[in-house]
Amino acid sequence: MKMSCEHHQDCMQLIQKILDGEASVAEKEAFFANKDLCMPCQKGYELELSLKENLKSKCQLSCPDQIISKIRSKLFLFLILISILIPLFC
Amino acid sequence: MLMEVEVKDKIYSLGNARQVFEKEFMPHMDAMYNFALKLTADEDDAQDLVQDTCLKAYRYINSFEPGTYAKAWLFRILKNNFINDYRKKSRGPSKVEFEWVEQSISGEDEAAEPAYFADLQAETVNDMLGDEITAALQSLPVDFRMIIILCDLEEFSYEEMAKILDIPIGTVRSRLHRARALLKIKLVSYAKSKGYN
Repeated sequence: MKMSCEHHQDCMQLIQKILDGEASVAEKEAFFANKDLCMPCQKGYELELSLKENLKSKCQLSCPDQIISKIRSKLFLFLILISILIPLFC
Repeated sequence: MLMEVEVKDKIYSLGNARQVFEKEFMPHMDAMYNFALKLTADEDDAQDLVQDTCLKAYRYINSFEPGTYAKAWLFRILKNNFINDYRKKSRGPSKVEFEWVEQSISGEDEAAEPAYFADLQAETVNDMLGDEITAALQSLPVDFRMIIILCDLEEFSYEEMAKILDIPIGTVRSRLHRARALLKIKLVSYAKSKGYN
């Protein structure tokens, strides 16, 4: 296994493209055919994957119910206002 | 007489507009709140930003095509709202710092993988708490934070992000790469300060 990668920066960009679902089939095949032969690419892939997965799973919050209620009541008020105002101008 | 919400491309009755709003927009409230909170770093501002975005979306509902990607449409409104009304008072690194970071990460040294995050391991990231990862994300300049949220948390495609952010797709790619590089730098320093291996 290679312990250093001469085009590691390009490989890192390709890894991100693959994990973002933006790489072509050929790009994916080329990368995965070589990944297990190159330590920096293997480690880089694992790191980028863990970053993506941890961001997705650990940084999400739910919208508090009170905001949803507030938005619904503001919309309701908006509808009432329009219902009153439109006939006045038509 | 049929009462209508603002006419642009098509006309919805008020009842229909409300239905479209409930069906197409409400399922994205969690994502919008999360995005707003990460951008403003303030709960009250995030609440106001989400409310303003929803009211604006409702007002311009006639320019929304049912069946198209409502979430991307809403995020674009939210981002514009944030830039116009909230960005000045939001916390986090300033534009000057952002420009400095853009230059320093995109400089001639880009060809080499920076050594300062080369020792960050997947296991270390897996061991980190949500609050620590959130804090690292929150410490990024807002344009970097924005693109990571859109890509990694909300899973928008590069093309959708380009439309939401009004930037070319090539800029999406390069900004995302720089944002991730900076996030790794932040995570290394968090990992060191918290004693992770």
